[in-house]
Amino acid sequence: MLYGRFVLVGDFPEVLRRAAAGDASAFARLWRDTHPPLLRYLWVSAGDAAEDVAAEVWLEVARRIGSFRGGEHEFRGWLFTMARRKMIDRHRYEARRPVSPTGDGELLDHPAADDTVTAALEYISTETALALIATLPRDQAEIIVLRVVVGLDASAVAQIVGKSPGAVRVAAHRGLRTLRERVAGATVTSPGRGGVTL
Amino acid sequence: MRVFAASLAEMWSSARKRNRLSPDEATAELLLARRHLGRHEPASQRTLELVLAAAAGPATERELAGETAAVTAFLAALPEPEPARRRGPRRLPVLAVALVLAALVALCGTGEAGALPAPLQRLAHQAIKAPAPSPAMRVPRPSADVTPGPGATGSQSAPGSSGPSQESRTGKPSANPTPTHTSDSQGNGNGQPTATDNGKGNGGTPGQGGNPSGHPTGNNGNGNGNGHGKN
Repeated sequence: MLYGRFVLVGDFPEVLRRAAAGDASAFARLWRDTHPPLLRYLWVSAGDAAEDVAAEVWLEVARRIGSFRGGEHEFRGWLFTMARRKMIDRHRYEARRPVSPTGDGELLDHPAADDTVTAALEYISTETALALIATLPRDQAEIIVLRVVVGLDASAVAQIVGKSPGAVRVAAHRGLRTLRERVAGATVTSPGRGGVTL
Repeated sequence: MRVFAASLAEMWSSARKRNRLSPDEATAELLLARRHLGRHEPASQRTLELVLAAAAGPATERELAGETAAVTAFLAALPEPEPARRRGPRRLPVLAVALVLAALVALCGTGEAGALPAPLQRLAHQAIKAPAPSPAMRVPRPSADVTPGPGATGSQSAPGSSGPSQESRTGKPSANPTPTHTSDSQGNGNGQPTATDNGKGNGGTPGQGGNPSGHPTGNNGNGNGNGHGKN
């Protein structure tokens, strides 16, 4: 299943109702659908603390899911807003920058021709792609992940990050431009496990 | 005029430029919306598309490894509405009983101190042997037209007679013969007023001070003043 698309859609109200009533299987379904993009978002924006912050987010979801009202789209917005607040709190307390899963030196090798890069990237793993995105300025990186990985539109992302939709759009375009320049002159050397063939 | 038209045209074209996305921006919007790019796009754009698709790829085993722990934590963190509902009805009786007890204690204390209103004091007197209500608690009636009898100082000569009321101590008769007193104010004629036998000195005339009907008359206290106050 590729992320960036809403998969529960029609089933979501029933799944949400059952989860709020304490149905473990319904919660597990929500978790399986939403946890991977949440973790990816946090990897990019919170680094090593991603899993801890994600656990805090799910605890908060468990406590407050009974009072949540809305569809799948709103649920993701609610969940990622919580995640972002917790991430900011953690940054404030720890007063440190998030650490990228892998450094630029490990990720990228010497420049190569575009065709070669494309051929190598056919085996790029999700982690490597996220590591590449994580090299962007944090605000651009988190906006790109929220739009591409989580599947939110510019308005929803704007609400989460506290910017106007126009500012979100500009930041996303800048981030993509920078990313394109970086991958255009690089080849990936660490396909890693869990990669996808595209 | 020509300058004005030119500036208008310039403004119009710049506004259109602002609203129109550049090719790069249009491609970026396609990428952000996870739309596939055509083959005509430059290789760098297609590379970028592959990176973004990988970032949104299927869940890895590592990402889904914590499902059991997450569900356990979910079940443990679920709020329990039932106990909250039970607390409501249980708290109310406890609170009510506590309030009633507090009111009873206060009532008994006030009764023992003799500070209750006459009817309640009387009730307390009967129920818990609290002091009987004092006649002073009665509404005073005018008695100026009654001349104090010879025993007016009689009760004054009875030292320690704290039980008798002011009326009996001064030997001042009440001009009001209305039987407002209770049965415990029967004149006993023995000149030993107790705390409950308020001011009943030796009746000046038989049948008055020792009124067996329990209805003190206005001549109460008109005795010879040999009543002994009893502490």
